[in-house]
Amino acid sequence: MSTTATIDLNGAAPSPTLVRRGGGAKRWARALARFAVRKPLGAIGGVIVVAMLVMALFAEHIAPYAYDETIRGARMKPPSAAHWLGTDNLSRDLWSRVVYGARVSVTVGFATIALGIAVATAIGVSSAYFGGAYDLVLQRVVDAWLSFPYLVIILSVMAVLGPGRLNLIISVAIIAAATNSRVIRGAALTVMQSQFVEAARAMGCGHARIILRHVLPNVTATIIILATIGLGAVILAESALSFLGFGVPPPYPSWGAMLSGSGRTYMFRAPWMAVWPGVAISLAVFGFNMLGDALRDVLDPRLRGTR
Amino acid sequence: MLKRYLARRLVIAIPSLLIASVIVFTLPRLIPGDAVQLMLAETSYAKDIDELRAKLGLDRALPVQYAEWVAHVMRGDLGESLWTRRPVLDELAHRLPVSAELALYATVIALAIALPIGVLAAARQDSLADYVARSVAILGLSLPSFWLATLLIVMPAIWWGWRPVTGFTDLRQDPVGHIVQLLLPAAILGIASAAALMRLTRGMLLEALRQDYVRTAQAKGLAQSVVVVKHGLRNAVIPVITLLGTQLPLILGGTVVIETIFGLPGVGRFLFDAINQRDYPVIQGVNLLVVSTVVLVNLGVDVLYGVLDPRIRY
Amino acid sequence: MSLSRREMLAVSGTALVAAALAPARARAQTPRRGGTLSLRLWDPPGFDHMLTVSYKTNIPLSFTHSRLVKPKAGPAIQPGTFPLEGDLAESWSQPNETTYVFKLRRGVRWHNKPPVNGRELTAEDVKYTIERFMTVKGNANAYMLRAVDRVDTPDKYTVKLTLKEPNAWFLDILASPMAVAIVAREAVEKFGDLKKPEAVIGTGPWMLDGYRPNVGYTFVRHPAYFVPGLPYIDRVDVTVDEDNASRIASFLAGKYDLGWENPGIINRTDWVQIKDSLRQKRPNLKTAEFAANVMSHISMRTDQKPFSDVRVRQAMSYAIDRQGILDATAEGVGIFNPPGVPAALKEWSLPVAQLGEGAKYYKYDPKEAKRLLAAAGYPSGFPATMCFTTYGSTILVDSMELVVKQLKDVGIDTKVDQKEYGAYAASCLIGKFDSMTYGPQTPFLDPDNFINQYVPGEPKNQSQINDPVATDLIVRQRRTFDPTKRREVIHELQRHLAKQQYYIQIPSGVYVAVWDGALKNYGPNVGYDYGGRLVAAWLDR
Repeated sequence: MSTTATIDLNGAAPSPTLVRRGGGAKRWARALARFAVRKPLGAIGGVIVVAMLVMALFAEHIAPYAYDETIRGARMKPPSAAHWLGTDNLSRDLWSRVVYGARVSVTVGFATIALGIAVATAIGVSSAYFGGAYDLVLQRVVDAWLSFPYLVIILSVMAVLGPGRLNLIISVAIIAAATNSRVIRGAALTVMQSQFVEAARAMGCGHARIILRHVLPNVTATIIILATIGLGAVILAESALSFLGFGVPPPYPSWGAMLSGSGRTYMFRAPWMAVWPGVAISLAVFGFNMLGDALRDVLDPRLRGTR
Repeated sequence: MLKRYLARRLVIAIPSLLIASVIVFTLPRLIPGDAVQLMLAETSYAKDIDELRAKLGLDRALPVQYAEWVAHVMRGDLGESLWTRRPVLDELAHRLPVSAELALYATVIALAIALPIGVLAAARQDSLADYVARSVAILGLSLPSFWLATLLIVMPAIWWGWRPVTGFTDLRQDPVGHIVQLLLPAAILGIASAAALMRLTRGMLLEALRQDYVRTAQAKGLAQSVVVVKHGLRNAVIPVITLLGTQLPLILGGTVVIETIFGLPGVGRFLFDAINQRDYPVIQGVNLLVVSTVVLVNLGVDVLYGVLDPRIRY
Repeated sequence: MSLSRREMLAVSGTALVAAALAPARARAQTPRRGGTLSLRLWDPPGFDHMLTVSYKTNIPLSFTHSRLVKPKAGPAIQPGTFPLEGDLAESWSQPNETTYVFKLRRGVRWHNKPPVNGRELTAEDVKYTIERFMTVKGNANAYMLRAVDRVDTPDKYTVKLTLKEPNAWFLDILASPMAVAIVAREAVEKFGDLKKPEAVIGTGPWMLDGYRPNVGYTFVRHPAYFVPGLPYIDRVDVTVDEDNASRIASFLAGKYDLGWENPGIINRTDWVQIKDSLRQKRPNLKTAEFAANVMSHISMRTDQKPFSDVRVRQAMSYAIDRQGILDATAEGVGIFNPPGVPAALKEWSLPVAQLGEGAKYYKYDPKEAKRLLAAAGYPSGFPATMCFTTYGSTILVDSMELVVKQLKDVGIDTKVDQKEYGAYAASCLIGKFDSMTYGPQTPFLDPDNFINQYVPGEPKNQSQINDPVATDLIVRQRRTFDPTKRREVIHELQRHLAKQQYYIQIPSGVYVAVWDGALKNYGPNVGYDYGGRLVAAWLDR
């Protein structure tokens, strides 16, 4: 058993496990069913996530109106049969805007996490693998980044780059990269101690081979967990940034902007303008977190075998 | 052995601080538009801009400005705000306590919520209580804090004509009022941290409870509660301390929104305004202070590890 | 369309009625000394108005400093009008077009704070202030006094100003709360500049008593104020409150005595939501409505294609549904702005209906817009970008979204380039943009500053306009001293500009000024002169 204690930040770094090979749709289906039964909360989270993805991908088909379409005579109407979630102060259908908002949250969220985790993995794995002076220096730089209140970095980078979806993605990804690199490094360190890696090294395998075939597959579980939980955090961050004026700029509807902008201004007369985006954000974050939690419970073998 | 470990940690902290100082200095200057253009807004002729820039010393080469700044910092002088000419250190002396108190109360509230729920959830893993506890915790984390704050401020005002105390009361003026006014914002901040802490506590406790020494304790006939607290919790504490250390910049950074809504003169809002106004000395000074605090706190946490767990000496 | 005649009369009527009623009541009661007024204002970025251009600084200084002349205040004054009276000047004369002689009051005392220590104000102080205003490095407002050639002090209480060229607006400039607040030499010499709160030493009705950054400040009565008996109000407690939800809650709970937005109003979108609650909780509130002098417009690069073609600009004006914007963002209540001078300055501005040939462009007619675009060579429109910053206002963002959509409907496919305010101020605000920009303009109190935007070479000339006809008219009105004739020149200018549509004017809202009924002898108005409006007001509670 490894004696190097890896500091388990967020309890998110499982110890390595043999990666199962082989596929088959039936196997996946059975695994999913087992997952749903054992982890009902996680299953609910999964359903929410899938619903969000569907909304994002098929917004044009799901939403009855365009997101900027002004509907005559329908200003600030409460939810009704004609407009499921009501209309806003510019006479636009809220349900349509919430659906299109999913697209923004999903693109921003997924892009940010993809970028952030990719960079984090590169940093974390290479740091653990090569060790030595490289590790020392790299970790000091990461330390420096992490010492800053995250909002400062985001604000500064956004102020430098200007508002905009891409710039938002980059700024938040920087934070995600730094934070997650630590945990990934921890997980990678544990893998480095394992026997597969020692054996591979002894056999004279090249760096790339060892990293790709042994290290990466065994930190995948960690990465998946970090990604799902991180998605929730990114969506929340976007809404806080919208409140501060640095979110996704109009005209595309984003849940954060809807909640912190006109939603707040008209909250007495038309509370539905803010309630639904708020519910959407909360559900999305809730869903991602639940899914991530359940995945961790399932993928972390130390907790396996417990009912 | 311990001393060498401590010395190594300290030495490692210094380059972090240096790198941070360079980042702190350069980043705001990359932002388009500078303080002078903001001060003079749309009425400025180019001549005015150049003159004011020269007057404020902003036209010299960057390395020169950096060197001068570092020299001042060594003497304990963090400079003056470009806009108000008030010394940065003075401003910080007034605001840091506010943010620190806020962070403290938020952490206390977070722990008060997270630990009992985490223990409960771990002790009754996968039961209904566990599900409910986790759901509620995650829900608290899922709600955007500014929205919660808005609701809590506005609804009582509409229904009962009551508003929470905004407009800051000083500690010396009215100690009770001072603490009370911070409780609501601290609670909102704490709820978000509580979720993360709760999940960690639960996870760590679950793992600790599975260890051999716990089974031994149970075999010895110790009461379950004693087992959980005495053996389980003690070992779960270390990662929790780590997490607190990483939560610190999150809390300090997350206070901007709360400080704006509740009108608290804290460091978060100060920094946010400074960034918007390109008040370089303030941005640098505050960032440097916060970064140093975090580095020191993390150092302390590392040291605490070294003391608590002799295995951790890398 | 803009407000119907009846509605317009009603709007100005309300103000008039309030004006008519109030003096009678005020005469029936004798003013009381004492009391504390509670306001929401802003945290100034330093207190030196010659080194930062900001209403956040001008407003508190209106409590503590005096000017040579100032606008009259009180319930009898119609909002949107600014008849002048002497502040530090007891009387003044104008021997010729370029010379002004001011006779100062005697016995005007500075605040009793070091290093000025309550001494008497003299002509030397005025001379010093004006010269500092014109020469201190970094005063962006220095251009306001660029017409001044020299300042002389023939004796201790006389100031003679000689201008290089005649400027019919000179007195209004001196009266503006954005301009020349009189300061003391010793304060500048001791503190280096006047940014620090300790350096706030004036001759105004109140003195700065305590300043807590980001939290608030207090004014206390100046016992030696030069108008005997004034001010009536002993103390003014100012709170800094940067969150609208918090302000609404505080106002409902009775905290602020004036509406929390500049200039003592409540935004209509908030007002509509809380007025019922207010009727119960604060039944003695008074209100008045008058047009806002903040106007937004679309600027565009008229020095390059496609905006150099007047038909494109006219098309854009047809494309904008101004009433629709009012309906969506201001509960339908507002007033259309003619070019140049906002409708709120009703003494000078021409109503849209009287713009002659240019009036038609104010109609919402997307078909006509498309036809004009096709005639100009853009049958399927063209792509464009719009530089924008939110100014922290969701209402502005809403109006921008509508504008972008309406432009898109006629084929002008606009991409929004949103900037953070600092970056915006360094670029688009001063004309450095590629295509279009949209945003509010500084709410001046006189037409001259507004129409300066049409003069080539001025930083405010965002649309890069170079129109000799317009420039000529602008210079001419500046030299026309007779107000009636001046008005005619301005109207001629507005009629000309309406045909050109260099800036697409968006309508302004109508302010809802709100104040606590215990505040007597108060007349709301636009502008930063809070102190001037409150100096003769008193509290009955």
